Amino acid sequence: MILLDAITKEYNDDGAVTHALRGISFEIKKGEFVAIMGASGSGKSTLLHILSFLDRPSRGDYFLDGKNINTLTDEELAATRNHTMGFVFQAFNLLGRSSVYENVELPLLYARVPSEQRKIMVEHAVLSVGLSEKMYAEAGKLSGGQKQRVAIARALVNNPSVIFADEPTGNLDSESGAHVMEILERLNNEEGHTVLLVTHETYTAEFANRILTLKDGQLESDIQVKVRRRSKEDFFK
Amino acid sequence: MYFTDLLKTSSRALRHAKMRSLLTILGIVIGIASVIVLVSIGKSAEALILDQVKGVGSNLIFVIPGATKGSRFASPPSVQGIIIKTLVKSDADALKRESTILNVAPEVRGQAKIVYENNDTSVTYTGTTEDFFQMRNFTVAEGFTFTRTDVDSLNRVAVLGSEIAHTLFGARNPVGKNVRLKNILFRVVGVLDKKGLGPFGVDQDNLVIIPLPIAQKQLLGIDHYNVINIQANDAYNIDFTKARVTSVLRQNHAITNPDKDDFTVRTQEDALSLLGNITSVLTLFLTSISCIALIVGGIGIMNIMLVSVVERTKEIGLRKALGATTRDILKQFLLEAVLLTTLGGIIGIVIGVLFVIGLYFILVNFSPTGWAFALPLSSVFIAFLVSTAIGILFGIYPARTAAAKSPIEALRYE
Repeated sequence: MILLDAITKEYNDDGAVTHALRGISFEIKKGEFVAIMGASGSGKSTLLHILSFLDRPSRGDYFLDGKNINTLTDEELAATRNHTMGFVFQAFNLLGRSSVYENVELPLLYARVPSEQRKIMVEHAVLSVGLSEKMYAEAGKLSGGQKQRVAIARALVNNPSVIFADEPTGNLDSESGAHVMEILERLNNEEGHTVLLVTHETYTAEFANRILTLKDGQLESDIQVKVRRRSKEDFFK
Repeated sequence: MYFTDLLKTSSRALRHAKMRSLLTILGIVIGIASVIVLVSIGKSAEALILDQVKGVGSNLIFVIPGATKGSRFASPPSVQGIIIKTLVKSDADALKRESTILNVAPEVRGQAKIVYENNDTSVTYTGTTEDFFQMRNFTVAEGFTFTRTDVDSLNRVAVLGSEIAHTLFGARNPVGKNVRLKNILFRVVGVLDKKGLGPFGVDQDNLVIIPLPIAQKQLLGIDHYNVINIQANDAYNIDFTKARVTSVLRQNHAITNPDKDDFTVRTQEDALSLLGNITSVLTLFLTSISCIALIVGGIGIMNIMLVSVVERTKEIGLRKALGATTRDILKQFLLEAVLLTTLGGIIGIVIGVLFVIGLYFILVNFSPTGWAFALPLSSVFIAFLVSTAIGILFGIYPARTAAAKSPIEALRYE
């Protein structure tokens, strides 16, 4: 599904070149739950941005479903991102003054889904994260855990093939973090979504079935998880 | 994104910052309201002035002593206070023989003190003939106007303007009473109906009209006229009559070279055209002032929109991450600006119209000048379009700034 071939990302800051990624190559198959780990500055966020089309590589090829994204225009990337990808951010990134419904509806607006169909899809997504009773509550007034569940509902509302989660438990207490990981695990396990998780926490990464570790912009390790955490109880072990 | 969804998204963003939105559109509200008010005042002034010119009479031609140099709107020297004696009785008599002319009323003017018992006031008096009243639309409220006999017999009779009558006599009827003008006794034979201001602000109620020969011989000691009023025969084209008047006077004054004319012939249309030009310039001037207010309002909108773009950087990043294209962001922010200015335009129109209605209520009820309500619908329509155009003009830069943001940097923005 995702194939990276010698991806390099450099930033030029007043003549000083920073190498964020140095020739990263790997493949992710449909339905995998992959955690990308690494210390701060290792390049994991840059990698996530490139994987999610928010940024373009300096060199190297990125194939999504067999298509080289270097050939796509910004408009085509935006459309592909809208139809194929869902996002969960550490800081939730909700529109605080808008309702849960309006937040979850956002990707569907840009996908030009008709309003009747949109309503069904939003209600289904909100129900799947257990927030139906908060459907018209102001997003900014929810608890951290609830906000992240809204973000997950927004990420899955257009039934994307990949969900990108950037430190999704980083701003949450253990209980809420566990709940969020349970939802992501269920989306992967039961609904077949590919999940790419960026985290620096090993116990969160172990919800994945594969862990990629970056160091100084290079892929340091690529390992399969032998014992996946599968439940809230596991989260606290 | 569908346009209806875009509209909802943009209006929701404005609703979420109600106070800021209201303050942002204040400049446009004031600008549009002032356009409505000033255009209305300009148009009303135009209508008022044109009514006043038409109220002077119909089919009128005025002959003024002295030639006009330069443009056809320039003033002859006599209007500027220079005494020119070229118009005399033989001119009036020659004009009376013209078939294109219905009536001729020569006119002289002077200033004097008018006295009745212990009351006195300064007044402009007009010496003229009996036809003057009908030609210039003067009607009497009390008594009569003087007759040809009064003019020919040098009778010392006077017709008072309503304001003079009130000043000297209060509520009493002046007809039959004697007033003293330059120490000469005149019997009041009539009081004119209230007429208000004439063209160029001449007070038509604050005057005394007396027979021409009396004014010439006994009050002013002159033989010439200040103006000859002519009523054209409407069976003829007014320009043809004007040409005939010019021809008769040139013949009478033995002028062969038109550059040597010692008189100026003006029609009401000339006056209307001149005043029309003045009022158009006035309206243009007032509208220009309002446009400055609108431009300032537009810059205010741009300013606040730019601040809003910076504040909403993260939202822009989020929208792009979720699939919004550069065009989607551009359209959203542009629509927000247009909604703001259009709303400002609508509020400005409502306030402007209410202000105009209030203003005319006061002017019509408490001012003697005879203002009439004039609010061209076209100005309301144009004001609405202008407010929308300002939204596009001043919203495009902030919208482009928003659309150009990189999603990564926008998402990182704190």
